[in-house]
Amino acid sequence: MRETYGKLLPGMRLADLAGKLIVIEGTDGVGRTTQIDLLKPWLEELGHAVLDTGMTRSILAGEGIRRAKEGNNLGRVTQALFYATDFVDRLEKEIVPALRAGFIVLTDRYIYSLMARAIVRGMDPVWIRSIFSVALKPDAVFYLRLGIDQLVPRVVFSRGFDYWESGMDLYPGHDMFDSFCNYQGALLAEFDRLSEEYHFETVDASADTRTVCSQLKTKILRLLEEDSKDAIFSMLLARSAEVTARNAKEKVHAAERAEVKLYPDESKSHDVDWSLLPSPVAAQAGGNGHAILREE
Amino acid sequence: MGITSGVRIGPFEVFTQIQPAVSQVRQYGEHHFPGRLFVVEGIDGSGKSTQLSLLHKWLESRGYGVIFSEWNSSELVKDTTKLGKKKKLLTPATFSLIHSTDFADRTERSILPLLKAGAIVLCDRYIYTAFARDVARGMDREWVRELYSFAVQPTAAFYFRVPLETAIGRLLDARDGFKFYEAGMDLGLSDDAEESFRLFQGRILEEYEKMIPEFGLTVIDATLPIEVQQASVRRIVKSHLAAAKEVRVQV
Repeated sequence: MRETYGKLLPGMRLADLAGKLIVIEGTDGVGRTTQIDLLKPWLEELGHAVLDTGMTRSILAGEGIRRAKEGNNLGRVTQALFYATDFVDRLEKEIVPALRAGFIVLTDRYIYSLMARAIVRGMDPVWIRSIFSVALKPDAVFYLRLGIDQLVPRVVFSRGFDYWESGMDLYPGHDMFDSFCNYQGALLAEFDRLSEEYHFETVDASADTRTVCSQLKTKILRLLEEDSKDAIFSMLLARSAEVTARNAKEKVHAAERAEVKLYPDESKSHDVDWSLLPSPVAAQAGGNGHAILREE
Repeated sequence: MGITSGVRIGPFEVFTQIQPAVSQVRQYGEHHFPGRLFVVEGIDGSGKSTQLSLLHKWLESRGYGVIFSEWNSSELVKDTTKLGKKKKLLTPATFSLIHSTDFADRTERSILPLLKAGAIVLCDRYIYTAFARDVARGMDREWVRELYSFAVQPTAAFYFRVPLETAIGRLLDARDGFKFYEAGMDLGLSDDAEESFRLFQGRILEEYEKMIPEFGLTVIDATLPIEVQQASVRRIVKSHLAAAKEVRVQV
């Protein structure tokens, strides 16, 4: 049975969440989105229904967060809670319904990114963990990891410095390069810590896209196979339990019949030969003489 | 959580010993800022806003720098809350989180810096409103309290206690109906707005009553004449102002 990290939201049932929740985590610029774009069609080709989701894509808070970030005046507590709102909206409205319908949910970042960002901004780790204690435990977390030296050219040479990716809200006044290195370095250290705590499967993201992708595919296949083995196993278990129950029932019946036969006078009324039961037509005929006349 | 420090401030355990560098966000507990924070609480129709505005005028007339902050009024967040309410997107969890986001923005942007600057901050509804409403909506009591642990503890929190029927009578006189979330219609307690309001606000009242000893709320009998209530409020506020800076804020 699926679990949360400690607290259950009102109205959330964990019983029949049959799908798989797969998380792709990692700092900015490690290629999470690229990988998800490759994994989704691959899984669909294998016959799995896939939902992909990610930060700020909620109907409720996505637009509000984007607007708030434009102003560059989003405080750190406000930021953490705004993202938590976005996350819980997607958890309740997208992730849980998709899992219930048997989808594979591929999520670009999960609570770990949000925790890392909050902790790096000086927030109490106990506080942020408590908020996300309502999250579902995923089936797997793949942590795409890239050292800071490789991260800088990847991010900066492709799209330049971004205010938030550089943590300029944290280190204002520094130039963006220094700020970026400080911020992403701190995030990386936090991710590494979380990786141990939450048992991430680390994937070396410094390899080329195809290599990383095939590594991810192998891991996902293993996860799905385990699942189908589990499914077959539990099916067999259920079936054998059924058989045992049926046998037991039959024994009881046999015992009852044996008991009944101890009283031969009553045995006729109890011990019915089922093959002699009237067919529906005969029954109708017995109850309604007109019907049988018309039939003839 | 598995980690305990044994140090408590108010209802919250403080983990300063374990994480000395990051405990800044945990504000609840007696603050030592030069400013003063007064908040009013109570169900709709308790008359708390009237009392707060009278207090506001009085403090200003005495030359204090007074800033007023209303529940659910953050410029950054309120459009999202409005969207959620209008389209009925909010669940008990997201209702709770979006209101905490709004409160966080007001705390970071105005309440906290203004208290540091020595102002008198007046809040119409505070974290206790969230505790009462969210728990009435089925959220976990401990979870909601932890969520708001970044809040500054008020100098005094006035709870305007009023029987449910009195409050409903006042509200029905003043306007024609109840709003969807205000009446707790999202909980499906009743299809009738007034009946739903009654049931939901009844739960909220129960939560408030439990919080009086938990947070040391100052109870004001909201069935008394307005002037009598205001006199008690002013007397209590005055007793906390001795050391507050007198700053006149130019508007």
